[in-house]
Amino acid sequence: MSTGLLDPGAIRPTVLARSNPVTKLAVATLLAVVLLLSVDVVTAGTAVLLEVLALPLVGLGMGGLLRRSAVLLVAAVPVAVLTVLVGVDSGAVLLDAGPLSISTGSLESGAAVGLRVVAIALPGVVLLATTDPTDLGDALAQVLRLSPRFVLAALAAFRVVDVLAEEWQQLGLARRARGLGGDGLLAGVRDLAGRVFVLLVIAVRRAAVLATAMEARGFGAGEGQGADRTWARPSRLRASDAVVVAGGVLLAATATAAGVLAGTWQLLLT
Amino acid sequence: MSTTSKSSASTTAEPPARRAGVIATAVAALAVVVVAILLWRGVAADPDNGSVAGPLVGVMTLVLGALALVGWRTAPRRSWRVVDIVVAAVLGVALGLVFTVWNLGWSPLSNALEFFPPVKGLFVGVWLLGGVVGGLVVRKPGAAVFVEVVAAVVSALIGNQWGFATVWYGLLQGLGAEVVLAVLLYRQWGAVAAVGAGIGAGVVVGVLDTTLYYPEFSAGLKLVYGASAVVSGIVIAGLGGWALTRALARTGALAPLASGRNAQRV
Repeated sequence: MSTGLLDPGAIRPTVLARSNPVTKLAVATLLAVVLLLSVDVVTAGTAVLLEVLALPLVGLGMGGLLRRSAVLLVAAVPVAVLTVLVGVDSGAVLLDAGPLSISTGSLESGAAVGLRVVAIALPGVVLLATTDPTDLGDALAQVLRLSPRFVLAALAAFRVVDVLAEEWQQLGLARRARGLGGDGLLAGVRDLAGRVFVLLVIAVRRAAVLATAMEARGFGAGEGQGADRTWARPSRLRASDAVVVAGGVLLAATATAAGVLAGTWQLLLT
Repeated sequence: MSTTSKSSASTTAEPPARRAGVIATAVAALAVVVVAILLWRGVAADPDNGSVAGPLVGVMTLVLGALALVGWRTAPRRSWRVVDIVVAAVLGVALGLVFTVWNLGWSPLSNALEFFPPVKGLFVGVWLLGGVVGGLVVRKPGAAVFVEVVAAVVSALIGNQWGFATVWYGLLQGLGAEVVLAVLLYRQWGAVAAVGAGIGAGVVVGVLDTTLYYPEFSAGLKLVYGASAVVSGIVIAGLGGWALTRALARTGALAPLASGRNAQRV
């Protein structure tokens, strides 16, 4: 699918990039769940290190990789700083300013939380960057056996992304030309709400037409009556997908083992 | 999503489809029990007041889950027509774009709130709109989950700072709204249902965020964060989503859907 907003850009066909989208989803989920179990510097740090080492395998160019992963810091740094400042204190207190305080304990947990956020998000962000929406849809319907009607309708709707994004720009310009909106937070919020509303009206109208067109071409016919659906693009798991999953398991196991060996790994809520 | 297997169970009286519906319900019931046990044990592990809160949370989850399953099985007009599915999908895509705009706007806004961080939860409501608006507009079992997931997938595919995690967030936030609509037996679609769905989604996002991003906050700060997420769910997602749906119905755009049928003005 060659849409502007969803275009993944140039991708080298590595094993990881060509693996089934469901495999990528499984690896990202596995890493997320395993890393969620504990908040500690060693586990999260090891995971981030291994993930960075594995980045060349993803198949993204240097530019794409940097652009995609830079946003992670936007999420991780504020969370880490926050935890340092207002998180639970322990150890020697380094700075005390009313509700905000820095201690060795909160410094460590800040680093742990920040690293953990990066470790959980990084695989998802870079793996998603090499995933084509059409391949994802095919995999969800054929490998995960989600209802084809819903998956295909969602895929059809994805084609509307660029149209709606363009409408969004147009709406902004049109409102501007009419003198709507303005400066300041309140005016900004009101302007945003107005644009969201009109966008939704356009979207629903377009969807009703799309539904009629799809139904006219037989979409949804014979559903639930045992009619067999055939697929233009078969999506199945290959041996290389097992290798990718094994890599993910190995990464998660190594990170957890490092944390356990260092004695910092502690199950959440215990 | 097991929605189709269940919806086809109600339209056609075929044994395979019906069996699929029963299996789906059994799986969902099992999932409720597992989640309840996990929550029970998880909360009970808290040394301060876990011995009281643990059983309370566990039993509440069980009761809510059971009520939601009853609502799910007894929902009126459960089958999805093509127009329902496509409108829900496109609505999800449109809201996914709104999510994307909000993803970009989130950082400066939350940085401005750095002086009292737990209040950041007040802004999560925009990401919960999918569940509420989807549920209210399409009025089918599963609509809240479907719309929220599609929106989350669009937001993730365009590229945000959370990657695949967005999809799971979307699924769970949608479920939070869905459970409330199911408990109301899929027969209430007014402001109360909208606010309830907003609360459901707000609770989910509060729990997820405090587990993932703020695990080292004190229990008090976590509560403040959760409460502000719920308030955001009530005001932005609940009341905002309800007003949005009503305004949408007034334009006549929802005429092909259940929600547009009684909103026609002469």
